[in-house]
Amino acid sequence: MAQQRALPQSKETLLQSYNKRLKDDVKSVMDNFTEIIKSAKIEDETQVSRATQGEQDNYEMHVRAANIVRAGESLMKLVSDLKQFLILNDFPSVNEAIDQRNQQLRALQEECDRKLIALRDEVSIDLYELEEEYYSSSSSLCEANGRPLCEAYWRLDLDTDSADGLSAPVLASPEPSAGPLQAAAPAHSHASGPGPTEHA
Amino acid sequence: MATYSLANERLRALEDIEREIGAILQNAGTVILELSKEKTNERLLDRQAAAFTASVQHVEAELSGQIRYLTQVATGQPHEGSSYSSRKDCQMALKRVDYARLKLSDVARTCEQMLE
Repeated sequence: MAQQRALPQSKETLLQSYNKRLKDDVKSVMDNFTEIIKSAKIEDETQVSRATQGEQDNYEMHVRAANIVRAGESLMKLVSDLKQFLILNDFPSVNEAIDQRNQQLRALQEECDRKLIALRDEVSIDLYELEEEYYSSSSSLCEANGRPLCEAYWRLDLDTDSADGLSAPVLASPEPSAGPLQAAAPAHSHASGPGPTEHA
Repeated sequence: MATYSLANERLRALEDIEREIGAILQNAGTVILELSKEKTNERLLDRQAAAFTASVQHVEAELSGQIRYLTQVATGQPHEGSSYSSRKDCQMALKRVDYARLKLSDVARTCEQMLE
C-alpha cells in the first residue's frame, strides 16, 4: 500500500490546487447547466412583464452558457497541466521510458558492431588475396612487364605452377640437407677446433 | 511511440478525458437546443441529459484518480536519469559504420582505377 510521502510544500500545494480546480469546474458546469434547465421552465405568474422576464432569462442563459464554456476550458487547461506534471514527475514511467530507450540504443549498437565484425571477416579474406597478388606481382612480373593487376591476377595459375617448381627444392632442402649442412658444419668446426663425434 | 507503454497509457487516458470534456459541452448544447424547440423530443432529451451527467461524473472520477496517483508518486525532486551514455555509444557505432563504408568506397575506387 503506497503511503503518501512528505512532498515539498510547492508540490503538495500544486496538487491540492489541481483538486480544487477540478471540484470548482465540475461544480460550475453542473450548477450552470441545472440553472439553465430550470430557467427554461415557463411560469405563468411573473413579477415583471413577460417581455422583461424573457429578456432576463435570455441574458441569464447567455451568462450561464458562457460559464459552462469557461469551466470546460478551465478543465482542459487542468488536463494540460496534469499531463505536464505527469511527464516531469511520474518517475516509474520516466524510468521505464529511459530503460526502453537504453535497450533500443544498445540493441542498435550491438547490431552495428556485429555487422561490422562480419564485414571485417569477409573483407579480410578478400584483402589477403589482393595483398598477395599485389606484392607477388609488384616484385616479379608487373613492374618488369607493366601488366595491370587484373591480368596478373588472371595469370596467377600459370605463375603458381612456375612458383611451385622454384619453391620445391627450397622447401625440400632443409630435410635432405641435414646431411650436407651437418657435413658443412663439422667442416667449419674442424677448421676452428675439435669437431663433432659424427664426423668420426 | 508504442514503446513508452506505461507513460503513454496515462497520457492517452488524459487525452480521452479531453475528448470527453468536449463531448460534455456538446451534450449540454444539444440539450439546450432541444429545449428551445417547440416540440421537444423527450427521449433524445433524456438520453443527452443522462449522457451529460455520466460524462461529467466520469471525468471527475478519472481526474481525481490521476491526481491521487500523482500525489503518491511525485517526490518533488528532479529526475536525473538519462539515456545519454547509450545514445553516445550508439552514435559512435554509427560513426564506425560510416567510416567503414568510406574506407570500402576508397578501396572500390582504387580497384576501379587499377582496372582502368
